[in-house]
Amino acid sequence: MDKPIYISALSLVTPLGNTIEQHFDAFKNGISGIKIHEKAGFQQTAIPLAKREEITGNRYDTLLREALEKAKNAHPEISGKTAVIVSSTKGNIDLLPGDTFAETASIVHEFFPATDVLIISNACISGVIAINTAADYLFAGKYDQVLVIGIDAVSEFVSYGFQSLFALSNETCKPFDKSRNGTVLGEGCGIVLVSTQKPADFAVLYKGGSSSNDANHISGPSRTGEGLVRSIEKTFRRSGKKASDIDFISAHGTATVFNDEMESIAFGRMNLDQVPLNSMKGYFGHTLGAAGVLEIIMSIVSMEKNTLFPNLGFKETGTSVPLNIIQHMEQKALNTVLKTASGFGGGNASLILQKQS
Amino acid sequence: MKILAHSYVCPKGTFLNGKLVYDTAGEENPLKSAYQQLGAEYPKFYKMDVLSKMAFIGTELLLPFFPKDADLENDLQLIFANSSASQNTDNLFVESYEQLKNPSPSLFVYTLPNIVTGELCIRHKWYGENCFFIEEAFNPVHFSEWAQMALNKGNNCCLCAWVEAKTNGEQECFLFLLTDSEEEAYSVELELSTLIKQYRNE
Amino acid sequence: MSDLKENLKAQIIEQLNLEDLTPADIRDDAPLFGDQGLGLDSIDALEFIVLLDSNYGIKISDPNEGKEIFQSVNTLADYISKHQ
Repeated sequence: MDKPIYISALSLVTPLGNTIEQHFDAFKNGISGIKIHEKAGFQQTAIPLAKREEITGNRYDTLLREALEKAKNAHPEISGKTAVIVSSTKGNIDLLPGDTFAETASIVHEFFPATDVLIISNACISGVIAINTAADYLFAGKYDQVLVIGIDAVSEFVSYGFQSLFALSNETCKPFDKSRNGTVLGEGCGIVLVSTQKPADFAVLYKGGSSSNDANHISGPSRTGEGLVRSIEKTFRRSGKKASDIDFISAHGTATVFNDEMESIAFGRMNLDQVPLNSMKGYFGHTLGAAGVLEIIMSIVSMEKNTLFPNLGFKETGTSVPLNIIQHMEQKALNTVLKTASGFGGGNASLILQKQS
Repeated sequence: MKILAHSYVCPKGTFLNGKLVYDTAGEENPLKSAYQQLGAEYPKFYKMDVLSKMAFIGTELLLPFFPKDADLENDLQLIFANSSASQNTDNLFVESYEQLKNPSPSLFVYTLPNIVTGELCIRHKWYGENCFFIEEAFNPVHFSEWAQMALNKGNNCCLCAWVEAKTNGEQECFLFLLTDSEEEAYSVELELSTLIKQYRNE
Repeated sequence: MSDLKENLKAQIIEQLNLEDLTPADIRDDAPLFGDQGLGLDSIDALEFIVLLDSNYGIKISDPNEGKEIFQSVNTLADYISKHQ
């Protein structure tokens, strides 16, 4: 991990807007993208969703093209060997019964021709793994820069699935709160540039990352937080950081009872329970394969503005290990940030960002 | 980098290091037959999707070939890929809510390709790193790059798989175990592309 | 009642893909969940909810309710005969 690797935010499209500035404003003002959508659930039930209402056509393609266009405007010069890694759980669900990822690379090529396009589909940790993989490619010298795209769209398919698991909230998303009763699905597309060259825009340093499997259950989080603990330990080793270095944690926090409980146990075991922490699912909902990238973009904004954003939806401690959940917007020097994610298939992933000195 | 061992599971049979071990050609339920011939006692097998079933059988056969001195619990990375993600189960899940009018939770949990690596980690208590890629076709150069990057990070060996179950009935799982050695990457890539061709034609 | 129980066992085996079992392997009073019995898990419990709805027209809206009902084939049969 000798050469510096920079990460900068290029574009962000969600129900909260299509510029990073709009997202900063929404976070500052505590605005959520979540609304109740009548008849969106199975058998015409009402469910909360964070859905970008401007979209009328295919949701995945539209999100992808809008974010790519913004990214191209932000970063028109592609120089050196470039790869694009797309992180998504479902791709374009409307392509079923065929391959849901069949058209992704060609859409990327409309905006960034002659790039190598790779796709990672590893449930809700895809975004964090995609950035870790981008860094691996840069360390190996295979590419000079990698665009990482996190994307997933709202669909009947996923909504009905989460309903069948009784994993959806009936109102809003309240990560880590005592009254949380499920997650809320959201959609969005975020793009970051991971590069060995220092970009002109604000960028932070990637210090290391890892993943670890719970080896416990394909859809239920581990009761002990073992996988998340092991991933954070590995990420600390690789980045040369320790718990006391961390100024802020961007946690996963889906607002299901068991997930948030698992995270609290893991953070407690790692002596991270006093570090200011938020889950951004109260703003974005759970955007699955996009979540890691979206939340890393807003973590970079936090670092740029030295601002801790509140964990929207949290009122009262609702985990067996109390955490330092951010409740009010606060100015604080943010030098070192830990991002974590956990998901189906027993996956856990983490990475560390650091401000340039 | 070198290949320690490889296996191949498809409806007509299960192969280990190039040799047919379970002949299932013409069987009504070839994966069930291969599992029964394998003799592993793991009732969860029956609940798995096709991707996990194939990878389960292929991985059991590779167990004797894992490096003995490696910390497999922490330092084994799983690198899997296919072109159709979880398409086969996706379509079954759609059928459960469109035709049967009841979205099935046990199908939904398999509508992610990386569940297959989760199943293997549960079975073998592997807590290491996992990654699932979607690619147009089996690409030995990519696998060798991903494995090299995993080994560079301190992982001891990589269990790699091209595991595909398409709606049209095409099913295959090509598993191979990679570890560090003096051998050049291109020779591993060449060997992998030869092996998959042989397996597909057998 | 005993017909109901036999049907239930066949439906459980089919719906939960317990292909290594036959109805005769499932005792009426054996625990369905946990290590002592069939070793079913939380997803199986949700699949029971689907089973009750599709085969018996019984809707359960809170999975916690299921804990009592899904203890054994006996408790399931009791619940079905009372609510159908």
